[in-house]
Amino acid sequence: MKKRDKKEPFIDTSFKSKTIKNPLKMDDSIADNYRGYVTLDPDKEFILNDKIGKILEKSCPTHAITYQNNDLKIHLDNGKCILCGNCKVESPELIKITNKFDQAKKRRDDLIETFSMSAPFEKTYDELGQELKNKIDKIFGRSLAIREIDAGSCNGCEIEINALNNPIYDIERYGITFVASPRHADVLLVTGPASKNMEQALKIAYDSTPNPKIVIAVGACACSGGIFGNNYATTGGIDNIVPVNVYIPGCPPRPQALLYGILLAINKI
Amino acid sequence: MEHYLSKLEQLKFKFTKHVKNNNEIHIELDDTSQLIEFCNILKLEMNLRLLTIIYCDERKINHEFSIRYLLGSDIDDIFLFVISHMNKKHAYFPSLSDVFPSSIKYEREINDMFGIQTQEDTILKPLILHDFQKNVFPLRKDFDAKTELNYSHRKFEFTPITGDGICEIPVGPIHAGIIEPGHFRFSVIGETIVNMETRLGYTHKGIEKIAESMSIDDVVFLSERISGDESIANSMAFCQAIEKIGQLTIPQKAEQIRLLFAELERIYNHFGTLSGIITDIGFPYGASRLNILKEQIMQLNEKLSGSRILFGVNQIGGVKINMTDETLIYIHSVLDNAFQTFEKILDLLKSNSSVMDRLRNTGMIEKQVARDLGLVGISSRCIGIESDTRHTHPYGYYPSIRLKQKTPRETMEHQVELQKRIGDVLSRFMSRVDDLRQSKEIIDSITTLKNDGLSVSLEGELAPYSSGLGYAESHRGETLHWIMIGEHNSIFRYKIRTASFSNWPIIEHAVLNNIVADFSVINKSFDFSYSGNDL
Repeated sequence: MKKRDKKEPFIDTSFKSKTIKNPLKMDDSIADNYRGYVTLDPDKEFILNDKIGKILEKSCPTHAITYQNNDLKIHLDNGKCILCGNCKVESPELIKITNKFDQAKKRRDDLIETFSMSAPFEKTYDELGQELKNKIDKIFGRSLAIREIDAGSCNGCEIEINALNNPIYDIERYGITFVASPRHADVLLVTGPASKNMEQALKIAYDSTPNPKIVIAVGACACSGGIFGNNYATTGGIDNIVPVNVYIPGCPPRPQALLYGILLAINKI
Repeated sequence: MEHYLSKLEQLKFKFTKHVKNNNEIHIELDDTSQLIEFCNILKLEMNLRLLTIIYCDERKINHEFSIRYLLGSDIDDIFLFVISHMNKKHAYFPSLSDVFPSSIKYEREINDMFGIQTQEDTILKPLILHDFQKNVFPLRKDFDAKTELNYSHRKFEFTPITGDGICEIPVGPIHAGIIEPGHFRFSVIGETIVNMETRLGYTHKGIEKIAESMSIDDVVFLSERISGDESIANSMAFCQAIEKIGQLTIPQKAEQIRLLFAELERIYNHFGTLSGIITDIGFPYGASRLNILKEQIMQLNEKLSGSRILFGVNQIGGVKINMTDETLIYIHSVLDNAFQTFEKILDLLKSNSSVMDRLRNTGMIEKQVARDLGLVGISSRCIGIESDTRHTHPYGYYPSIRLKQKTPRETMEHQVELQKRIGDVLSRFMSRVDDLRQSKEIIDSITTLKNDGLSVSLEGELAPYSSGLGYAESHRGETLHWIMIGEHNSIFRYKIRTASFSNWPIIEHAVLNNIVADFSVINKSFDFSYSGNDL
C-alpha cells in the first residue's frame, strides 16, 4: 500500500476525457499509484543474503522472483509478474513499483531482469531491433492490420485491447486497425496462457496469417503462463505453440503498454 | 429460517440435518434412493431452485465421493445443501434433470472432471475437456495438476438438424470481434436461425485444480483472474467463504471499501456492455460516447486501486486499498459527471428510432425457460424474475445500506416500466440502466467511512475439512464459491459457480427465430464471460 503525498490534493480537477495526445508519453493520464512495473529499487543499497532472497521469492504467487544462493542474484521475470504488489507488502523497502508501461521486449529472456548486490539493472533496447526496423517499415508501410486471438485469457487483456479502440486511445489514428480474420492480418495479438483447448485453433490461425507476420504475446499469461503456469490444461505461454516476436508483460498491460509493444514490433520506436 | 426448518420437519422423509453459518441447512438423507423425490418436494413446496452441484473427491477422508446439491430460494436468505455419498457400491449418481433441467450442465461437468456418470444410461457430451487423453479426470485427488497430457480425439457431435433448405454455419472458436473463444453452430433456413448449439470450454485453465496446490493467500489472486471483469465479485466471494470458515469479522471500513469497489466494477462493466450493444447494432456515435464513460470509470479505478480493472483490492480479512473521506468526495464527483452525461446519451438513444427498432423484440426469452434453466442476474431480471444476491442473501456492507424511499408515483412508474420487460434485448438494456442507477445510489448513500482499520489477520489454522459458502453479486449475477479446507490451511476443494455458468444455456433459446446478423447483439446483451464458464 502506498501512502499518498499529502501536499498534492487527491482531488484532480484536470480529469478530462479528451483523446490523449501522445499515449507513449508519461503524463497525468496515468495515475501515480498505477502498478505498471515492478523492480528492485535502484536507489536503495542492500546486501543480498539468503533471508532477503527467500522472503522475496516466497512473496510472489507466480514465482516471478527467483533467488539463487550460489551466485547471490535475484532474478525478476516480468513475463510472470501479475503486478499484484504482494512483494511490496512483504518487503516495502526493497521493491519499487512504478507506473511505467514501456516494458515490452522482443525476446523472452529480456523480460528477466537480474539484480545482484545493490547494483541497479541497466536496460538497453534490443540492438537487433535496429536491423529489423528498416526491413519491416518497407513491407508494412504505415498501415498495420491486427487480429486479436484469445487463447484462454481471463478477459482482462481483452478489456484493455478493446480500450485501444475507444476515443481516448484511438489506435486507428496510427494506421492500426483490428481486422476480423487472421487472413487479413499482419500482426497476431495473442492473450492467455494458451489453453490446451485453444492450441489447435491458434496454430491454424497462425498458419492462415500471410507472411511476413508478427506475433505479440500480450500479458503475463501469454508470456509465461502467469498465475496459471504450466498445468494439465495450459501450455505455459504462447511461445510453446507459435514463435513470438514481442512480449508485452503486465496483468493486464495498459493500453499505452500495448501500443508501445505494437510499435516496438513494427519498429517505429 | 425457522419457517424452512419447520417445513422440513413436516416432510415424511428420514434425514439428519444441521444448521451452519446462520443460513446454511445441511441435510443428509438416510435413503439416497429417495433423493430425486425429495428434491422435487423441495422445489414444489418451498419454491427452491438448483444453484449448483458440488462434487468432491473425499476418498482420502472417508473413502467416498460426496455430492452436494445446493438449493436456494429467490426470496429468503437460505441455502440448502442436500448431501449424498457415493462409494464403490454406487458408481452412479442420480440425475436431477427431471426436476431441475439446469442440472444437466453440472452433470456434464462432473462427467468430465470426475468421470462419474448419472444413473440413466445416457451418453453425455463432453463439456470442458475437448481433445484430452481419455480416462483422465482432473479433479480427482490422484491426478497431479502438472501432468503432461497427450491429445486424443474425443467425439463431439453437434445435434444434426436436417431438412429442406437447412444449412449449417459454424462460427468460432476465434470470433471476428475482440472477444473470448467459443464455438457456435447455427442451423439456418435463409437468414432465420432454427437451431443453435454452443460448444464452450476453450478457455479452460484448470483453476479449480491448481487452487488446491496454492496457499490461500495466493488463491485470492487466482480468484481475481477467474474472469478479469468480475475480479472484485469473485475475490470477494472467495474471501467471504474463507472468513466464514475462520469466523473472522472484518472491519466495517473494509466492508465499505469492498462495496464501493464492487459497485464501481458493476458501473464500468455495464457502461462497457451498453456500449457493446450499441456497437453491434451499428451506431458508433452512441457507442463511443458510452465507451468514454467506461474509460473514465476505469481511470478512476486506476487512481483508487492502482489497477484499471481492480486487481489486488481484496485480501483475506479485509482490503489492501485505503480510502479517505476525500477519496469519497472524488468518487462522488466523478460519478456525478459521468451519470449526467449518461442520462443525456440515454435520451439520445431512446429518441433514435433506428436504435430502438433493432433492440425491441430481438432475442426474446420466455419466463418459464428462464426459470427452468435457473437464470440469475440481468438475464433473469429482464423477464421480471427478481434475483439479486444483494437483496436475497445480503452480504458485506449491503444490509446497512439505506436507499432513498421512492414516492408512490415513482414506484408506480417503475412498475409500469417493469411490465414492458419482455425478455428482449431492450429489456436487458433497460435492466442494466436500472442497475447502473441503483449502483450510483448505493455509492451516494455512503458519505462517511468508518474508522476501524483495513483488515484483520487470520489467526491459527483453519479447521481441516470444514467448508463454507461465499457469495456475491457480480454485474452478471449471483456468484457462488464453495470451499473445503484441507490440512495446514490448504484448499481441499474449490468449487466456483459464476453467473455465466448457469446463464450460458439461455443463449440457445434466445437466438431462435432471429436472424444470424442479430446474434452478436443478442450475445452482447447477455454479456456472458467465457472464462468464467470454462474456468
